[in-house]
Amino acid sequence: MTRSSGIGRSIFLFLSSTVFLIYLLAPVAWLVSSSLQRDAEITSRPPHWIPHEPTLENFAAIFQAREKKVTYETRRQGDPATGGYIPSTARNLIPSMWNSLVVAVSVVLLNLLVAVPAAYAMAKIRFIGRSTSIYFMLTTRVIPDIALVVPFFLFIRTFGLLDTLGSLVITYLAITVPFSIFILVSYFESLPDELDKAARVDGCSRLQTLARVYVPLAAPALVAVVLFTFLTSWNEFLLALMFTQTGKSQTMPIVVASFASDFTISFAFINAAGVLAVVPPVLMAVIFERYIVSGLTAGAVKG
Amino acid sequence: MATIRFESVGKRYPNGFAALENLSLEIADKEFVVLLGPSGCGKSTTLNLIAGLEDVTAGALWFDRTLMNVVPAHKRDVAMVFQSYALYPHKSVYENIAFGLRMRGFARAEIARRVREAARMLEIEPLLERRPHQLSGGQRQRVALGRALVRQPAAFLMDEPLSNLDAALRIAMRAEIKKLHQTMRTTFVYVTHDQAEALTLADRIVVMREGVIQQIGTPEEIYDRPKNTFVASFLGNPPINYLEGTLAGDGARFVRGGVSLALPKPLQGQGGRPVKLGIRAEDVDPKATHQVISGRVSSVLPVGSDQYLGVEVEGATLFFRVGRELRAREGENIALSVNTSRVQLFDSSSGASLLWT
Repeated sequence: MTRSSGIGRSIFLFLSSTVFLIYLLAPVAWLVSSSLQRDAEITSRPPHWIPHEPTLENFAAIFQAREKKVTYETRRQGDPATGGYIPSTARNLIPSMWNSLVVAVSVVLLNLLVAVPAAYAMAKIRFIGRSTSIYFMLTTRVIPDIALVVPFFLFIRTFGLLDTLGSLVITYLAITVPFSIFILVSYFESLPDELDKAARVDGCSRLQTLARVYVPLAAPALVAVVLFTFLTSWNEFLLALMFTQTGKSQTMPIVVASFASDFTISFAFINAAGVLAVVPPVLMAVIFERYIVSGLTAGAVKG
Repeated sequence: MATIRFESVGKRYPNGFAALENLSLEIADKEFVVLLGPSGCGKSTTLNLIAGLEDVTAGALWFDRTLMNVVPAHKRDVAMVFQSYALYPHKSVYENIAFGLRMRGFARAEIARRVREAARMLEIEPLLERRPHQLSGGQRQRVALGRALVRQPAAFLMDEPLSNLDAALRIAMRAEIKKLHQTMRTTFVYVTHDQAEALTLADRIVVMREGVIQQIGTPEEIYDRPKNTFVASFLGNPPINYLEGTLAGDGARFVRGGVSLALPKPLQGQGGRPVKLGIRAEDVDPKATHQVISGRVSSVLPVGSDQYLGVEVEGATLFFRVGRELRAREGENIALSVNTSRVQLFDSSSGASLLWT
């Protein structure tokens, strides 16, 4: 009786995890599959999950588009992969990826630089207004981004930072730093105070204590912060839409979105761009894979 | 190497809580001083002030002739052992012990030599490559000691270092710490709430309560001549018994109902004063017949070597420690002779000793 119910349970778990996996992976699979198809095949019914005529022409088009200036008159010229159409902003795609990467990496590094010492101070040093500052910081994140767009815009314009990567780095920091500090504070607090005392008696200044004892122990939380800030910056759309105007500073989400609002929509081209957009986050996930699970539960258990 | 001197030191936290008030204390070079008191009495705060882990907010703290108030922890030549050991989990035992030396810029060869020597002294040589989580509690304790002694500091601070060990190990480590003090010949300041540790280890004991020093003295002084009921109650197992009563016979006797006992020294002209008599659990003799108190046995608690007797005397229940050969049964009446040369006498309202000031 118990044996058969055990089997039933296993079957149930197996089936439901299969369904969940399909739910998660199907969009990605379609993205990858359709990036290898021509527009004509993408729109065929029923859809071809496995491309009948696989082609790399979409990717070739992206990399060639970099040198081309596409206008209404020239958009049909010589690009078989896209069924003859390439978006007028296509040449911005590769530079925009670079922009996204520069912004995301800067935001990650500056986050660590600011959040790690701040979190250490809040977790381990008693000062007047310590808990107030933690709560104040968190309440700033209760305000939705959309409410901040106008003040941010005025600020950015006043400082002459419109259409620069700097505007994005500054505003993304404003969004991500409070969360980073929050993640790290709770992790540092879970590490015993006596470690801090032991390190200082052993001859570490506050900064050395942080660098030599707390940072190595906080690796899972640091990975969580790196992933969180990188993905937030990489995916951010609203603020980038407001502050960037030209290919000089546009990030990948803006450029890819612009493909859909062009003269004509090329599904193949957009999907190929989508595949490229997924690559860096996936690489990050692979690199930090062994830390991710412990990072997500950071603070739940003692180091 | 260092005399530690507190001059009217106070410690007040930003929230207004005063952890220490007007603390004056001089710890001599190479002395073993134990700070004893219940939790929250300020003993750990005192230790943290010596280490520089917390700031002095009033008064002055001196090491020899150097004012230490503003010297940060990492510039003070002290080592500390913590209750939780506070070993660095990401470092091997070797690295844990070597860390303090590395931070102070010792040469690699010198570090290796000292770490090996400390490890040999503490018998943890085979463990040097392990991580702290692979060690037992007693082994971690030894590593924590090693980390402190390898530096050969001017002062050795210990914050309840044995509290996390089991009873048998605790007694063994107590002996080792005492031996360590003798071999290292440096100043030890040791914080505990365990009176037995204090009595075993200390050259001098400082009894503290709510941030105020109650009494400073050798273990014998503290035990035999407590200055108030707090100190008297804190030492002794089972704790000292109190009987409220009055002085009679021009201050030469203590009287409560049918109990009348001679005092070790008469308080002349104070007959009729309400007082509290303190009798230590071991200061009774069931065989002798002078200076007797009698009452009904309310409980018999054998503890192996001895037995504890609860005796109801004039409406108060007193606990005494007597040999196990005494056949006492609950409900029986018993007469016990009090060693009146060792009784204590306190003011009944303030609790201050009337015998020792």
